Amino acid sequence: MNDYLEVRNLSKSFEGFQLHDITFTLPKGYIMGLIGPNGSGKTTTIKLILNMLKRTSGEVKILGFDNIAKEQEAKRNLGVVFDSNYFSDEWKVSQVEKSVSAFYENWNTQKFSEILERFHIQPSKKVKELSKGMQMKLMLACAFSYDAKLLILDEPTSGLDPVSRDELLHILSEYIEDGEHSVLFSTHITGDLERAADYITYISYGELFFSGGKDEFIDSFRIVKGGREELSADLSKKMLGIRNFSTGFEALVKTEDLKQFAHLNVEPAAIDDIVVFTSKRGERYE
Amino acid sequence: MSNIWKSVKLDFSLVKPYVKTICFTMILPVVFAVINRSLLTGISFAMCFIAMTTGYTFSVTEKNSMERLYGILPIRKSDMVIGRYIFIIIMGFTALIFSLITHPVVLIILGESISMFDYISAAATGIFLFALYTVFQLPGYYKLGSIKGRVFMYIPVAGFLITLLLITRIPVGESKLLFAVIHSPVLLMLLAVILVIAMYVVSISVSIKILKNKEI
Repeated sequence: MNDYLEVRNLSKSFEGFQLHDITFTLPKGYIMGLIGPNGSGKTTTIKLILNMLKRTSGEVKILGFDNIAKEQEAKRNLGVVFDSNYFSDEWKVSQVEKSVSAFYENWNTQKFSEILERFHIQPSKKVKELSKGMQMKLMLACAFSYDAKLLILDEPTSGLDPVSRDELLHILSEYIEDGEHSVLFSTHITGDLERAADYITYISYGELFFSGGKDEFIDSFRIVKGGREELSADLSKKMLGIRNFSTGFEALVKTEDLKQFAHLNVEPAAIDDIVVFTSKRGERYE
Repeated sequence: MSNIWKSVKLDFSLVKPYVKTICFTMILPVVFAVINRSLLTGISFAMCFIAMTTGYTFSVTEKNSMERLYGILPIRKSDMVIGRYIFIIIMGFTALIFSLITHPVVLIILGESISMFDYISAAATGIFLFALYTVFQLPGYYKLGSIKGRVFMYIPVAGFLITLLLITRIPVGESKLLFAVIHSPVLLMLLAVILVIAMYVVSISVSIKILKNKEI
């Protein structure tokens, strides 16, 4: 099996929001960043993948298993980390292992102890006594202890300090090193993805904007800068988003349209630029 | 180990930090038994009190947003529900055994005599009350959560009042079957057991349906 996660035409309707026709695949051995502004549908997509929400239509396969018909099989090798801890605050770290390990045949107690030691988590501490970063590491330690093949992280870096964020990205990079593990990583801190992700899936207001290689994504867009007098109506139409200043403007354009902007100052676009300029639902960012 | 049993163990680990509080809840009914000099009263209160503590598993789950943990575990939703019912029945059974030992000891020390009939009737009443409370409460908790779901606890109380109202109007003498059931302890017990099992089967089915349709 080459694709660890297959999402096809996934849709979900809520009152006032619709996730529409989301399709992407995550191959074995890679990290995919799931990006989009707040409220764009990242968490909804993840909850649909985990069958925590009922989909309106579409199909999801986790490690080759349908996420509803073969839910147990699909979740057996799946690790999930949310933005906040999902263990009882009153549990000691050792109790977390006792409570969770029974559900996983592959659980390796020795490995769990080693990971705790590496993460500097004391088994005698209560979950509520751990910092947010430590709680996140505890969720990771559990997933690593049963050798979860696919790791899904929903906004794991929100609320973490830069050191903890850096550490998490390092852990994830190590995790996929053997080519047998994959990570789907939802975040709005796109700087994290510049470093760690191989693939990007960008959801904007419930619609799939892009899914593919990170380099291809970044390379598809450019930032053009110029003076106000250089901005014509024709050029403006080709811009995906524009920011005006008193002295000039900067805009996001498609690389394929770059010829028309050859007279302007062209710079590479960062993921953040692409998200900010394109997340205005077609409105100009002025 | 079956998934149901794993689920029972997980539920136990949820309430483990609160075991002392739950044990304390079992002390008060002893006082009621002493005041009323009645085993039936003490056991009835004990089983009602323990039925009220069944919300702990739901409260802890809600407080810590643990629905997400249950959502990612490789276990069927029906196994989770059955596991929780079994755990709660074990809690009730433990409370019953504890009360059936402690209450008579205290009452005998106070000079009361307790017959086998007292034991059986108190145990049967306690089991029935516990079942009556939990079969309504648990689907309520699954549907509305641990706070709003408490409203379901009052359904058995309303049921009692209606039963009391209706019982006086039942023409017992006219029906031979009804007369035989009421005057035969064995038949009455058998009927109670069948009723308790039927209530749990319906309650579990409803809870499974609720959980399967629930979005986290």
